[in-house]
Amino acid sequence: MKFLFTTALVAMGLSGGAMAQENVDFWYETANPDQQRWIQELLIDGFQTANPGFGLTVDYRGNELDKQLRIAMLSGSGPDVVFTPGPSYVAPMAQNGQLLSLEPYAEQFGWNESILPVFLEMGRYDGTLYALPKTYETIGLYYNKTLFAENGWEVPTTLAELEVLADTMMEAGIQPFSAGNSDWRGANEWFVSIALNSVAGPENVYAALTGQIPWTSEPFVEAINTLNGWWEKGYFGENYFSIDSGEQPMDLLATGQAGMMPSGTWQFQNVPTYFNQAGTEPGFVGFPSADGAPVFALGVGSTLSIAATSDVPDGAAAVIGHIFTPDFYSAMGSQWQGEWNMPLSDLSDVMMADTVLPLYTEAMANLAQSVGEGSYGYTTWTFLPPATNSYLINGIEEVWLDQITTEQYLAEIDANFQTEMGEGKVPSIPAR
Amino acid sequence: MHRLYVIPTIFINVVIIAIPAILTMILAFYRWDGMSTPVFVGLGNFEALWTDRVFWRALTNNLIWTGLFLTIPIGMGLLAATMMLIARRGSTFFQVIYFLPIIIATAITARVWQGMIYSPITGVLGLLDRYGLELTNPLTQVNTALYGVAVADLWHWWGFLCVIFFAALRQVPQEQVEAARVEGATFFQLMRYVLLPGIMPTISLMMIMTIIWSFLVFDFVFILTQGGPAFSSEVLSTLAYRSAFYDLAVGKAAAVSVIISLFGIVATIFYIRIQAAEIVE
Repeated sequence: MKFLFTTALVAMGLSGGAMAQENVDFWYETANPDQQRWIQELLIDGFQTANPGFGLTVDYRGNELDKQLRIAMLSGSGPDVVFTPGPSYVAPMAQNGQLLSLEPYAEQFGWNESILPVFLEMGRYDGTLYALPKTYETIGLYYNKTLFAENGWEVPTTLAELEVLADTMMEAGIQPFSAGNSDWRGANEWFVSIALNSVAGPENVYAALTGQIPWTSEPFVEAINTLNGWWEKGYFGENYFSIDSGEQPMDLLATGQAGMMPSGTWQFQNVPTYFNQAGTEPGFVGFPSADGAPVFALGVGSTLSIAATSDVPDGAAAVIGHIFTPDFYSAMGSQWQGEWNMPLSDLSDVMMADTVLPLYTEAMANLAQSVGEGSYGYTTWTFLPPATNSYLINGIEEVWLDQITTEQYLAEIDANFQTEMGEGKVPSIPAR
Repeated sequence: MHRLYVIPTIFINVVIIAIPAILTMILAFYRWDGMSTPVFVGLGNFEALWTDRVFWRALTNNLIWTGLFLTIPIGMGLLAATMMLIARRGSTFFQVIYFLPIIIATAITARVWQGMIYSPITGVLGLLDRYGLELTNPLTQVNTALYGVAVADLWHWWGFLCVIFFAALRQVPQEQVEAARVEGATFFQLMRYVLLPGIMPTISLMMIMTIIWSFLVFDFVFILTQGGPAFSSEVLSTLAYRSAFYDLAVGKAAAVSVIISLFGIVATIFYIRIQAAEIVE
């Protein structure tokens, strides 16, 4: 009997507590046990301490989060904080009234001042702010500094130098580019993005994204032909379709089996593990372009919004507000690089731990500088609408494997793009 | 009163199967991104598929897949089942061994084939390569990717058919088998005139189901190649999935699904007619 009373009292206590505290639901993608611990300590506990009126529940939904989210949003049963894989997912949601306008909260939390304007622009649909970029990233060229020193190789600063170096590596039996896609076909678009930005140039990509020139224009033909040339010469090695896109290429690079690795800043999380193990030193530079100046293609890996059906929109806004603070940036960025890189305009209050690779902070500073100067490039996963991007990823394999020509590939990309542009599915493209 | 017993079954069938199926059929005539209001496009989705080379590639791959699965696993299953029938010693052990792959989760089987067998870095092929036997990962070649996936699926599938056929063979009247032996029938004569006719209903059921399952194949293809490289292992179900969840073209995905169902319906009608003919006999 005493047990029953105790249970009833505990239950009443719990329900009383729950009534006093409104709970915010946040669906997150994948996180390993360490990452889940950081989310618990830094995000959940940190938010609840700072906002005693709200509770926060983070639900790990895996790699297929976007598909689950789309169905849940359609039925009005999704989470309060909406996590999408990028601006191209925001446009259709905003178009269909599934997201809440963030304008009043931008005023309240000062996001118009604290976030870089380019990124606010990317979160707008029809002039209204619906999403904030949770993380921004770029693609560049990782290389094995120790291997370069041993062979007396210089880091390439132009595409011509890159090709000469890659040919030299091949003669020495070293794979020039460490890359793979067996676990994630989407890795193909990293290389297409590099080719479009470094060969055709960001100005042409911007013109195509805004509908001023078609994707079949000459600069893009040259870009895809260049990429295909690299493929045909064997720069990507024989096992591209067999190895994964993350750890295996990093292992090949760190052990000197490959000399360079074109990849994104998200790969920094694997650098210490593999380079420490191999006892070699890593390097990272912007991917060279035809005229020499490296192009930092801008990518947004994920965005945060509030569901239109949320019954705790203020709580959801408070969670996003908590994430966009220098304190959270410092704490989370010190533990988990590349994943929580919010585009804060003022990083003077950000204090990263000593354990963070200087290479990483340098790469992000270079990107921030490019964004500030308006000289950044465009990653395809951030700025292309869904069907165009999906074809861009799969179709490039058809070019590489001689199933279609560059012209046919670009014609299909252009056809998809024009259709989606007509349907209002192209994400917001910030003016240059 | 006893008719009330069918109500739960009918309810489940209507809610889980009939309504989604009807909605899918309706959606095949609409353009829909999965979020906004669907727009009626008539036969637009089907016309788009007609001129889509990836669709034809996927359909061809499904037909090749059906051909492979109608012959190889059924042939292997029949052979092994007959062997077990003739040499009864150890048949229980072999049944367990042959059946084992079917109880392993598909994702695990597929990853084992991908990472521990086919991979040139971590797999058996890589090991053989280091001993001088150069073998290319079949999943990476346009001409062999589909067959590479099929081998993994065949390995996991044929044992199931074997156990089914063995169970059916054991139901063939023993007198007929012994009579054939007394008459001096060879192994092949025994198969041709006694055993195969005796289990023909089971074989035809398995063949019909194989056709239906072959048009539904998704898991092994998606895990091992995601339809690549260059759409070379694309099948109708992966095309539908990619259309719905990557291209946000739910109407097109519904049209592909309707075509998949058509093959299933044809196979089902065929099976029902065979059944009806057997009942008349």
